[in-house]
Amino acid sequence: MGVRRRQRPKRRANSASPISACCPRTGFKGWHALAWLREQGIAVPEANNRAGSLAGGGFAARLADTELLLTGSLDGAADTFDGLLAALGEAKPSGVYPVPRSDGSAWLTMTGRHAPSCMAKLCGVDLRSKKFPEGCVAQTSVARLNAVVVRADLGSVFALHLFFDSASAGYFWRCLVDAAAEYRGAPVGVLALRRLAAEVTPATGRTGDG
Amino acid sequence: MSTRLPEPAGRLIDRTRTVAFTFDGRSYEGFEGDTIASALYANGVRVLSRSFKYHRPRGVFTMAGRDANTLVQVGPEPSVLADRRPITSGLAVTAQNVFGRAERDFGAALDKLGRFMPAGFYYKAFFKPKGSWAYWERVLRRMAGLGTVDVHTPHGPFDKQYLFADVAVIGAGPAGIAAAVAAAKAGAEVLLIDENPYLGGALAWGREDPDGSRLRALEASVAAYPTLSVMTDTVCNGWFEDNWLALIRENRLSKLRARAVVMAAGCDGQPAVFRNNDLPGVMLGSAAQRLIRLYGVKPGSRAVIVTSGAEGYEVALDLRDAGVEIACLADLRQDPPAAPGDTHFPVIAGAAVRAAVPGRGGAGVGGAEVARLSADGRLGTSIDRFACDLIVTTVGHHPAAQLLCQTGARLRYDDDAQMFRVAGLPETVFAAGSVDGIFGLESTIADGTRAGSAAAAAIGLDAKSSERPQSAPAGEGAPWPIFPHAEGKDFIDFDEDLQVKDILSSYAEGYDGIELVKRFSTVGMGPSQGRHSALTAARILSRAAGTTVDGAGVTTVRPPVGPEKIGHLAGRAFQPVRLTAMHHRHVALAARMMPAGAWMRPAYYGTPGDRDAAIHAEVMAVRENVGLIDVSTLGGIDIRGPEAAEFMNRFYTFAYLKQPVGRARYVLATDIGGVIIDDGVACRFGDEHFYVTTTTSTSDSVYRQMLWYNAQWRLKVDIANVTAAYAAVNIAGPKSRDVLAAIAADVDLSADACPYMGVREGLVAGLPARLLRVGFVGELGYEIHVPASCGEALWDALMEAGAAHGIRPFGVEAQRLLRLEKGHIIIGQDTDGLTFPDEAGMGWAVSVKKPYFVGARSVAIQRARPPQRLLVGFEMAKDDPLPEECHLVVRDDTITGRVTSVALSPVLGKIVGLAYVAPDQAEEGTAISIKLTDGRLVTARVVKPPFYDPEGDRQAL
Repeated sequence: MGVRRRQRPKRRANSASPISACCPRTGFKGWHALAWLREQGIAVPEANNRAGSLAGGGFAARLADTELLLTGSLDGAADTFDGLLAALGEAKPSGVYPVPRSDGSAWLTMTGRHAPSCMAKLCGVDLRSKKFPEGCVAQTSVARLNAVVVRADLGSVFALHLFFDSASAGYFWRCLVDAAAEYRGAPVGVLALRRLAAEVTPATGRTGDG
Repeated sequence: MSTRLPEPAGRLIDRTRTVAFTFDGRSYEGFEGDTIASALYANGVRVLSRSFKYHRPRGVFTMAGRDANTLVQVGPEPSVLADRRPITSGLAVTAQNVFGRAERDFGAALDKLGRFMPAGFYYKAFFKPKGSWAYWERVLRRMAGLGTVDVHTPHGPFDKQYLFADVAVIGAGPAGIAAAVAAAKAGAEVLLIDENPYLGGALAWGREDPDGSRLRALEASVAAYPTLSVMTDTVCNGWFEDNWLALIRENRLSKLRARAVVMAAGCDGQPAVFRNNDLPGVMLGSAAQRLIRLYGVKPGSRAVIVTSGAEGYEVALDLRDAGVEIACLADLRQDPPAAPGDTHFPVIAGAAVRAAVPGRGGAGVGGAEVARLSADGRLGTSIDRFACDLIVTTVGHHPAAQLLCQTGARLRYDDDAQMFRVAGLPETVFAAGSVDGIFGLESTIADGTRAGSAAAAAIGLDAKSSERPQSAPAGEGAPWPIFPHAEGKDFIDFDEDLQVKDILSSYAEGYDGIELVKRFSTVGMGPSQGRHSALTAARILSRAAGTTVDGAGVTTVRPPVGPEKIGHLAGRAFQPVRLTAMHHRHVALAARMMPAGAWMRPAYYGTPGDRDAAIHAEVMAVRENVGLIDVSTLGGIDIRGPEAAEFMNRFYTFAYLKQPVGRARYVLATDIGGVIIDDGVACRFGDEHFYVTTTTSTSDSVYRQMLWYNAQWRLKVDIANVTAAYAAVNIAGPKSRDVLAAIAADVDLSADACPYMGVREGLVAGLPARLLRVGFVGELGYEIHVPASCGEALWDALMEAGAAHGIRPFGVEAQRLLRLEKGHIIIGQDTDGLTFPDEAGMGWAVSVKKPYFVGARSVAIQRARPPQRLLVGFEMAKDDPLPEECHLVVRDDTITGRVTSVALSPVLGKIVGLAYVAPDQAEEGTAISIKLTDGRLVTARVVKPPFYDPEGDRQAL
């Protein structure tokens, strides 16, 4: 799907966007969690620390043999996972427990070709495009906070999705903006991300080697 | 006066751009690309600094940032290397360690007193009589030092960053470039690092590449590989385990993790030792060549060269080409091979410089005394005197192997090459070029290719291996370029003003190893870290001790390689701050926020001037009416699964197997040593579901402990830290039920349906909530936990519903007082890192019937012993002096305990507190003495808490 050129979002070298308020996410834990989610039709990645796309948009990030993080699409409704949670509440299977990611985990997305260099100021994991390809997940420390980092590009634009302690969102936001300033990075709204996500991947391929 | 040479000399300067700066208050001009030292040299300024001890004049020596002679002060920044720092417009440079100016230093009189200041003199001279060092230390620190620290230096933007590479190459000379290209060719991602602003190393300033074609070819080969990145102006300051390299470039410390490393850092030219060998105008041959080719500066008018090999002849030819008259070349070799090229300058074989003769004013070279060497290397008495303003030495090399030595490699002396060589490298670290004793352009390139290929192969890439090439003879050094003078001033370490006799006297004092000599004499301890003194010291010691140079050895090398700023180590500050969902409501209500661990919490609501009144009012609101406090900072952990109760029973000290659903129970956690680490409340919301609270700031550590233990126990439970997912408040006070009932219609809050320590789930103001009827502050009250995104809505709803009842928000200060009145302890305040449950009066929370809990054995052992201290309540009259936390409880001359909590209770009208005391002081009614800050003793009376509502009637309403 294309967008008209004048509507094309301006591509900054680096940008960070808060999408906690409006983008659905949830999680499930427990020794039967992955099996139960498969039964519900969720495409669970085959390996830990891998993420895969979900049919309705968004992605599933497998954090352990016993834990999965789910996101909806960037323009998904807040109740995206209500059906899944209701099914869980009804069935009450042993070994499957919801994780309140919407409240517990803030979600920021850093996009652009300088994102890996910017993140290198905050995180010891090599997040460059070739070393951290699409679908990679890192559970690590970013700016001294526990964080889940998921590589899931938006259209052709390199994108790292960061999930971290929601109570530290203000601090974390300042860290990202400060680190991005060197690369003329700046905050962008979720609408820009939605447009990026909707763009067709050009032949030039993705960047992000920093 | 300008001594600039025409182009092509001066490849780093842009002659179209002049830059004005000052040195010691005088104005100078240089060109863009100049360093402070090159610009000053071009302006005829030879004295850049004064020496550490004798205040002798010092000037350019290496022109490579490798020595301490060029350390200057730049504005507030001390100890800047003048031969590395570029000039910028308006730069204000001053000399260091001078009384006056560099050129005219009143401290120079100390040079006349040198004989009274041998190595280690201050160890002996200033320590008797006892206490005199305190005086002399101040005098000596004023007389000797490096720069001035400006405590008002503005904060600079320092940064840190991680970098990654398959192969890191340190040093971008011919060997380093060849190594980088070879590794990149094999498919490696390579980072090539050099401290200079240019590539090529010696090729950029030496005589081996007259038309620059070889350097251009090497630069082109670097550019040909997209996987080969270059960082110039970057110092690799340390090697650490697993090839973790510290790189410093401007204000950034980069932390590079490489899979393999090639060190091609080159070598340091070594000084010849003769009288006055430290005068400005005496320099290494490489320094003279750098001045010429990099900066277009003519090093002098008339030169004497002392050398031990072909390198000196090349320098002489460069000088001659630059218009410097060659007074003579003294070749240490008795029978040197034919000089290369058409020299046309006098060569004296088997001769050395015996002394530099100071010029007019004593601050530079005015001449050189050259003497013949006997067959055994001693100077003869026949002297030829040459007028000159420049003495250049090329008598050998010492590998720049600091980084290699940090990897665990050793330096072994090679008697053939007359230099130390590197031995014993780790599997993924390689040396290439002159740092490994390989000299000559073709040889170093071949050696670099070998090392780069080997590095690529070491990380599993397909790369051809090759043999180590033969070194060209360019590196040949003299075995003994040391010519002590009867009148001294024959320096072996310019940093510390050490002379030949200082090493000999150290040995004579009994310091017979190089490490001991270093510590007594301070050789190698200055800013240049032995680059130009280690080899000489080893030679002198070996001859004194009758051992080999290898036997004398060199001292241990440790990071950092060069100076680094505290700002580099600090970098950007990461200080996580956690805010609750209601934070902005508190700010709007004029709360004074305070840190509580990583969290920010309201201390009280009001201005600092009204602090006590505000806290008093908040306390009274809770006791008499209703108050609301944000307790979102409490940790929240969900324990779910069929064995959740068993898990709780093992992790906490109390009993949980029979805890009814819908009830809360106190939890106390001890570590394996039986020490209290946390407390909270366990709420049983289902047979398989406990929701446990922890104290503020311990949720992460408790959660980790839970995971760690269950990794061993393998119980069928899931443990989830949901601290940030829930916002929570505590509404407390006699009217709290009325307020809550108004917005929680579907929850029966009656005392029968929801008694003290009951827990419920339901809707509060339409929000899904967990209700905990607990009583930390000793009144009827409810903790309400809702999803964090609902926190503000909950707060607003309660404040609105409570408005008619005069609800008042209260902060941490009021809560501390309220809980103290109830005698409730705070973990971490009323306990410390050694507190057992019984000591803190928490024995009631330890189940003795269950078979196990974490720390059970330690608690049992502790219980079998008489207690060492006990936590008791105490009270004092309202008007007594108010003790503070940590004031000591004393008995006669003995400390028996300390105050942990204390406050004047507005409700009780007296001072109440908790304190550790000796067991025999714990009896009710015992008088204890508390020592105040001003030394006064006040008496308190031991009482049994709670101080307020001892029967607990109010919280059980």
